Amino acid sequence: MSFPMLHKRFVARVIWQSRRQAAIFVLCTVLSLVTMVALAGFSESVRRAMMQDARRLHAGDVLVRANMPFSDGLQREISRLVEETAIEAARIHEFYSLVRAPRTGDTLLSQVKVVPPSYPFYGEVVLGSGQPLVRALRSGQAVVEPAVLERLDLRVGDALQVGRARLTIADTLLNEPDRPVDFFSLGPRVMVAAADLEALDLVQHGSRVWHSYRLRLPAPEMETSVVQRLRQAALAGQEIVEPARSAESRMTRFFDNLLFFLGLVGIFTLLLAGFGIQSALAALLKDQAPTIAIMRAVGATHRFIAIHYLGAVLLMAVVGTTGGLAGGMLLQWMLPALFAGLIPRGLGAAPTLPALLEGAALGMGVVGLFAFLPLYRLREVRPAATLRISETATRRGPAYLAALAAVGIFFAAMILWQIEDQRTGAWFVAGTGLLIGWLALCTRLILAGLRRLTTRRLILRQAVKGLFRPRNATAATIVTLAAALTLILAIVLVERNLDATFVQSYPDDAPNLFLLDIQPSQRAAIAAMLGPRAEFYPVVRARIASINGTPVDREEERRRRSDNLARTFNLTYRGDLLPDEVLTAGSALFRTDWPDEVVQVSMLERVRRLHPFQIGDRIVFRIQGVPLEAVVSSIRERTRDSLSPFFYFIFQEKDLAVAPQTLFAALRVPPEDIHRMQNRVAARFANISAIDATATARIFGRILRRLSAIVRFFTAFAVAAGLLIIVSAVLATRAARVRETVYFKILGAPRRFVARVFALENLIIGLLSGLLALIAAQAAAWLVCRRVLSIAYHPYPGIGLALLAATIVLVAAVGMAAARGILNERPESFLRRQDQGM
Amino acid sequence: MIILEAQHLSHSYRIGGRDIRILDDVSLAVEAGEFLVIQGASGSGKSTLLSLLSGLDKPGSGRIRIDGRDITDLGEDDLAPIRNTAIGFVFQAYHLVPALTAIENVMFPAELRGDPAAAEKAAALVNRVGLADRRDNFPHQLSGGEKQRIAICRALINAPAVIFADEPTGNLDSASGQAILTLLREFQRERGATLVLVTHNPEIAATADRVLKLVDGRLRHELPHAA
Repeated sequence: MSFPMLHKRFVARVIWQSRRQAAIFVLCTVLSLVTMVALAGFSESVRRAMMQDARRLHAGDVLVRANMPFSDGLQREISRLVEETAIEAARIHEFYSLVRAPRTGDTLLSQVKVVPPSYPFYGEVVLGSGQPLVRALRSGQAVVEPAVLERLDLRVGDALQVGRARLTIADTLLNEPDRPVDFFSLGPRVMVAAADLEALDLVQHGSRVWHSYRLRLPAPEMETSVVQRLRQAALAGQEIVEPARSAESRMTRFFDNLLFFLGLVGIFTLLLAGFGIQSALAALLKDQAPTIAIMRAVGATHRFIAIHYLGAVLLMAVVGTTGGLAGGMLLQWMLPALFAGLIPRGLGAAPTLPALLEGAALGMGVVGLFAFLPLYRLREVRPAATLRISETATRRGPAYLAALAAVGIFFAAMILWQIEDQRTGAWFVAGTGLLIGWLALCTRLILAGLRRLTTRRLILRQAVKGLFRPRNATAATIVTLAAALTLILAIVLVERNLDATFVQSYPDDAPNLFLLDIQPSQRAAIAAMLGPRAEFYPVVRARIASINGTPVDREEERRRRSDNLARTFNLTYRGDLLPDEVLTAGSALFRTDWPDEVVQVSMLERVRRLHPFQIGDRIVFRIQGVPLEAVVSSIRERTRDSLSPFFYFIFQEKDLAVAPQTLFAALRVPPEDIHRMQNRVAARFANISAIDATATARIFGRILRRLSAIVRFFTAFAVAAGLLIIVSAVLATRAARVRETVYFKILGAPRRFVARVFALENLIIGLLSGLLALIAAQAAAWLVCRRVLSIAYHPYPGIGLALLAATIVLVAAVGMAAARGILNERPESFLRRQDQGM
Repeated sequence: MIILEAQHLSHSYRIGGRDIRILDDVSLAVEAGEFLVIQGASGSGKSTLLSLLSGLDKPGSGRIRIDGRDITDLGEDDLAPIRNTAIGFVFQAYHLVPALTAIENVMFPAELRGDPAAAEKAAALVNRVGLADRRDNFPHQLSGGEKQRIAICRALINAPAVIFADEPTGNLDSASGQAILTLLREFQRERGATLVLVTHNPEIAATADRVLKLVDGRLRHELPHAA
């Protein structure tokens, strides 16, 4: 059989004749790719930059870190390496501390970094004066971020009290290689010379300090052996040794999480845009049905027709994919501005060939996936259609089910392929499936109810009838819009609830001043200063080594996107439940029927999300390298969401009293007294960090709003996909709508009547989409707030109603704009076309 | 009394850059209660003349009056109430609204008018044409003859002064066609309405009060009233 010749002009004419539908098809293809390409490229650029510039971003070749003082064994090994080879080591301490302006007595919570003259090995610390750090930062001096000067009303050359040392501000700090400017930080940076560390007197037993070494290797090939030697000497699970190129920083982890989430939003948009592609192509082929029927009638084979229309689809897909790649690159180019302050300065995002090829393959794949069904249905166009003008309903046969299954499998595979954490992926797939399934079910039920609606109001009746116009894709439009709106509203609601819980309505009875790192010897003096309001909690820092004899897999745990068992936990000891705690398992906090030598631990219910702990499980904790095996005696739950301190693990005093520990105090002071209290604490107890929880909450809220804006930006693309589907649905039903308009006009309906019917039809679609989104978003946000974040939930009906109103207006406006030409259709020209078989 | 009057109607269509003259200086007057047939071959301009007379299209030149009112320059929205109450249409292709059931199609013009008795009137008409058992069927569930009967009911529900029928039997077999014609005539006589019917069929023309013959857009003969 010879291959039918492709008539290129025919293909071009098909596209030109159905140019409106073709434009929607191309726009949907563009939309499906833009976010995916932009995010994939940006993500790769960030990762590549972080990898290429890893040495700069970590200011060394090898990074050794711990949040407890380094063990003697590791210290010795580092010293030996430095002595034996040409390796250089820079010991760095980082911690939060209140710094004070001696002149005014004002204090400011700052992030202090103590560095030796050799810091940084790579990259550059940029100072206001332009001089090198090593020249500006000598003993007795400090360089500070401009915010320190602003907030404490200081100038370069003024004195600054850091701990017990009074330093001179030598310069302003504009940039440091291993920290983005606005990254999550509760206070501005103060950099101090290592020579002054002791004079500060801030690093004490149990203090909250991030300890690190940056090593510079004389030759890159030494890396493996050095890392290996250090790892052997390090305490497993407590001291981390990583080459810079694979070191995981807070920043890389943050970006991993954010880009992962945005990637999921991208996949969501891809799915919605795919529906748009399918809807637009179905409309185009519907438009072409008379042509196809005539071609059939004169003897064209299905193969001949399919090849020509496939050619048209391919051409549109290529144009759409090219547009999508271009749009993606443009967006990628804009992303550094969107993420400004959260990513290191100067991090560029350049498109890479693999990312472009991947994008192109993705675009063609998505088009292929969603174009299959409409193209397959070409075979259903019969020559007899030339004689018929009535609509025929499409049947949902095996091809429909196969196409549906293919879409489901494709997206599940994409999500699982994108992420390493299979559990999160499975949750997302299940969540998305559940959301779309629920929306589809509700839409079906509501539409079935509407179909039975009997009303005497003619306009409403006609509008409802219009929803069931063949090929109107009412259900698909509602589900798509509702899904996109659910995502947007749920994110806004979670953000508002977080904001309300931690920022706006800071509970009146919650402590608002937290004192960290109180040495046991300071307790009496602090208690005398704070008065009886202060509550003290002993804090022992520990990691979990094993559970029931099975070591904790730290690599696996760190891959989790939420809390994990590899981190350091704060243990405490006391004998009673707090007023806001109840037991959910076990008869008492600690068992009296167990032998005295058994170390008992009570855990918070929340820990069970990390591992299915049971009463009687044996957990080995490692406290500064010393193992302590404890048996789970009870499980507790908090009865209300408050900002009172709580601990995951509680021991009996007898078992932890002698462990290295600090104290943590929490108290409620009148807000206007917080600053004064901070100043007093800083003046007398330099090592203690007094944190204003309300200020911390404000910073948290600011970052939250920033991230929320980024997410909203990407979710807007999903909404655009929903709106394109509305336009596509109007185009798909254009012929039916024109006929209705003409008939209504012939029977004496004014244009106003027809416009009202169409407007009401769109209002119903907008209202249903908005209402379903409102319900789904409330449920999703409630679930996230109550189950994941464990905070109180407020439904914010005002925000929901505003979104509902906005949706209705938007849908009605887009629907009416698309139907504008139809309303102007004149009866006579339609009837003439009918008579002439056009 | 003259219910419908056309003076010097001319009309052209522009197709492929060429002006094609469809009607050329057509004038006519129709008495109230008259059954007028406009007869002509395919392409003679008879359907165009019907479109102009009924206000569905505007003439290139000339004037049209219905019940004494000049409708020539009226806009779509001004024509709407005239189409709704003064005119009834019956088409060869039925043109029923696909999304409405048979009874809903019939009720529709009365509902547009705000007639509270729309449902009762529609039911009575549907009963009268013998389609009570098909009243809740959609157009695609009806046969050609049934569709046309529903279309006639729809044309009559607002008791129009003039009924325009464009080849109403053209898509039907001869028995159904005859039945439709009988029905139209019955209703016309009962209600004293004017019936303007376009056809190329001489047998139908023979039953008319008067026949106008169109040839190439010109009115050639005005045949005497049928016996």
